[in-house]
Order: sequence, then C-alpha cells, then structure tokens
Amino acid sequence: MYLNNLLAAADPIVDWDLFQSSLWPMIQGGIQYTIPLTLISFAIGLLIALLTALARLSNSKILAGIARVYVSAIRGTPLLVQLSIIFFGLASIGLVIDPFPSAVIAFSLNVGAYASEIIRASILSVPKGQWEAGQAIGMTHRQALARIILPQATRVSIPPLSNSFISLVKDTSLASTILVTELFRKSQEIAARTYEFMQLYITAAILYWIVCFTLSVIQGRIEKRLDRYVAK
Amino acid sequence: MLLSVENLHKSFGEMNVLKGIDLSIEKGSVVAIIGPSGSGKTTMLRCFNALEMPDKGTIQFEQDFKLSFDKAPSKKEILQLRRKSGMVFQSYNLFPHKTAIENVMEGPVVVQKKEKAAVKKLAESLLKKVGLEEKMHLYPHQLSGGQQQRVGIARALAIEPELMLFDEPTSALDPEIVGEVLHVIRDLANEGWTMAIVTHELKFAEEVADHVIFIDGGHIVEQGPPAELLKNPQEPRTRQFLNRILNPS
Ligand SMILES: Nc1ncnc2c1ncn2[C@@H]1O[C@H](COP(=O)(O)OP(=O)(O)OP(=O)(O)O)[C@@H](O)[C@H]1O
Ligand SMILES: [Mg+2]
Repeated sequence: MYLNNLLAAADPIVDWDLFQSSLWPMIQGGIQYTIPLTLISFAIGLLIALLTALARLSNSKILAGIARVYVSAIRGTPLLVQLSIIFFGLASIGLVIDPFPSAVIAFSLNVGAYASEIIRASILSVPKGQWEAGQAIGMTHRQALARIILPQATRVSIPPLSNSFISLVKDTSLASTILVTELFRKSQEIAARTYEFMQLYITAAILYWIVCFTLSVIQGRIEKRLDRYVAK
Repeated sequence: MLLSVENLHKSFGEMNVLKGIDLSIEKGSVVAIIGPSGSGKTTMLRCFNALEMPDKGTIQFEQDFKLSFDKAPSKKEILQLRRKSGMVFQSYNLFPHKTAIENVMEGPVVVQKKEKAAVKKLAESLLKKVGLEEKMHLYPHQLSGGQQQRVGIARALAIEPELMLFDEPTSALDPEIVGEVLHVIRDLANEGWTMAIVTHELKFAEEVADHVIFIDGGHIVEQGPPAELLKNPQEPRTRQFLNRILNPS
C-alpha cells in the first residue's frame, strides 16, 4: 500500500494543482520564518563578529583568548549539532527555548564566528600606513579605526560576507529539524501528506535559488558602488 | 627653539637605530636631514610625532610641552605630542575612500571638532595653495603621484601644526613631477612654516634649508648652514657621503 502510493507519486508529470496549493504555504514559510531568521541572525551575527574580531586584535590576552576559543568551538562543530544542543539539549536540562529563538541563537553564534575571521582578515588587509596617516593628523586609535580602517575593511569584506549571507539563507533550512516551520519544513509537511517528494523538494529548491540569485545580483551592485574609489 | 630633542634613543630589538640624538629646530626655520640609507632618518622623524616610540630621551616644544620617554608616556601625552606636528609620507598614505577635500577636512573635523562649513573653506584654500582647486572632488586613485602628495601636504597643513615633517616627499615620484611638489614646499618655507625635511635632493636642501643635519649610524655626525655643510664639510664621513651622491659611479 505504501509502495503503491510511492509509485503513484512517481508520476513524472507535474501536478499543477498540487503546485498551486503548495506554493503559497511554502512562500509563507519563507516570509514568516526563513527571511526573518536569516536577517535577524545575520545582523546579530555581524555584531558578534565585529566584537570578536576586535577582541582578537586587541592587546588584551584574555579577550583575545576567549574570542579564539569561541571561534574554534563554533568552526569545529557541525551547525546541526549546535542547533540540537541549544534546542533539545538545553530543554533536557530544564532550559526550554522556543524553536525560533533557539534558531536565532544558533545561527547568530555561527555567523559570529565565521564572519569574525572575515572581518579580522579585512582589518589586517588595510595597510599600516593608513593607521599612521590617521594618527599623524592626531586621531585616537578609536577614531582611526572607525573613520579610516573599518570603511576600507568593509569594502574588502563585502564579497566574503555576502557569501556568508547567502549560505545562511540555505542553512536556515536546518531549522526544520527543531520544528521551525520555515520554507523547507513546509515542503516536508506537504510531502508527508501527498508523497510528492520530488515535486515539492524541487519547488523548495527553486524558491531558495530565486532568493539566492536575487541576493547575488544585489551583492554585485553593492560591490560596484563600493569600488568607486578604487583604481580599475 | 620650537623643538628641542635630547638624548633620543630608539632600537628595534637588538638593533640600535638612534644612539642619542640631540637637536633643536628654531621657529620658522627649515631643517634638511640627509644621510645614507638605513642611517635612521625616517626613524628619527617618526619619533618626533611618536609614530615610533622612542626608548629614551626627551622631546620638547617651546617652553610649554616637554615629554620624557624614560618611562612610557600616557596615551594623552602621545596625542598631545602628535597634534603638534603634521606629517607628509613618502608614499602619501592618502585615505583612498575619501576625496581630496575630504582627506584635508578629516583632521580639523574629526580631531579638532571644528565646524564643518569653516573647515570646508580652509580645505578649499589649502588645496588652492597647492594648486589643486580643480581636483578637490576626485579620489586619490584619480590623481597623479605629484597631485596625491600635494593633497598629503594640504592634509597635514589643515591641522595647523607647529612643525611640518616630510619624509622624502618626492622620492616616490617620477623625475618630471618632483618639481611641482618641491615648489609647494618652497612656498611653505617662504610663508615661514617650520619644517624638518628628510631628502636626497641636495640642490633643493641647499636652496631652501636654513640648516642641514647629516646623520650616519644613528648619530648626528655634523650639522650647520647648507653653504658650509654641503660645500665645505668638516667630517670625513660627511665628505664621503656627499662625494658618493654628487659623483655616482
Ligand atoms: N619597524 C622596524 N622594525 C625593525 N627595524 C626597523 C624598523 N624600522 C626601521 N628599521 C631599521 O632601522 C634602520 C634605520 O631605518 P630608517 O628607515 O630610519 O633609515 P633611513 O635613514 O630612513 O633610510 P632610507 O634612506 O633608506 O629611507 C634600518 O636598518 C631599518 O632596517
Ligand atoms: Mg627613510
């Protein structure tokens, strides 16, 4: 009987009725969860990343050490495991966090670690002479960082950070495992009812693709804008 | 004396680069600093505004500010010292994300917290002074080396320093545009700016400087008016150095 259903679902022709009825719930999942999850996590993650990068570049051994351990722990463990610890793990020791905030915490910490390496490298890529030129007109370390170094580092970090952002859009599908009804989980739920796995997962893939493609076009625009003060 | 330096020492690890520099610069005078490569000219100039932290010695500006490096000075003292001088770098070091006029305005606006409209006027007049009123709104990469260096000079002048420091301001430039930068520096000398200039342009030093200092091996070997030091050096090392520059073989 299960096999029969599967075989029926294997019908190669696209089921347009199902396409129509499934598309909106999936898009809704995207608008309600995938996009907010991506935006919120990325924003918080960037803030964590900047602070982590500055900590690693600071003179304080303690701050630099904490930052290094954090980055190493996040980069050395799978995202799926991190998500599971925050949602299932913490719940099992009595700290219950809802699925969506759990996902925000996990993704922010994840972005924070990876992006901190990007930001650190881009700060280091600004020539030493730029610090000195700032100091020579009397700037404090903080003024030189904010006015001279970070704007130039930003330009360098935009391409790799855009890649992180686009990866994050796709990674949010992992939140399906902790019951966040985002785009992919919506498609799973409908597939579980209709057995149209191929069609539904392809639809989900195309939706992700459209979002990521749009983002990469925007990325190109931003890079072009930021390039205006650099020799071609 | 505008600047008095006593017993200045600086080493990088094991290498002693400055081994007790004593010098003074009179207000309104132009001092040229010459010497072989690696003798410590750049290091000395960078010590004057604490881009390089001296290990020992004192730096004094007139009567009102004296800083000893025998123990580490505070951040505030370093800033105070820095804000006395403007620096022009060999490689310009303009801010690439800012236009020429924004480069010039940055110090007065951000550091001195002056009013923007007034600073804009100041920056325009400085860029005019260095002959760049037409290029004000271009980014550094749109300017030639000579133009960039002139923006660098205007940027340093904008904070109204008591002393201007130049580290080989023309040595990164093509020979045919060296003149336009030297011309600007000559004008500043005529306006009475106090300047310390590290240079290999002996003719320029002879013409513009009031005082020439020859450095070798981390010591001031000889100093005096250009007519004497360049024409009739007393020390064998000075003679040897000048010979090598004047008769390269
Ligand atoms: N940051 C540094 N770390 C280590 N050594 C340095 C540093 N800066 C300069 N030195 C060394 O100190 C010595 C003096 O250098 P400095 O740049 O002051 O010489 P200079 O007289 O300006 O030479 P040039 O005419 O080639 O510019 C050189 O041997 C140089 O290698
Ligand atoms: Mg030098």
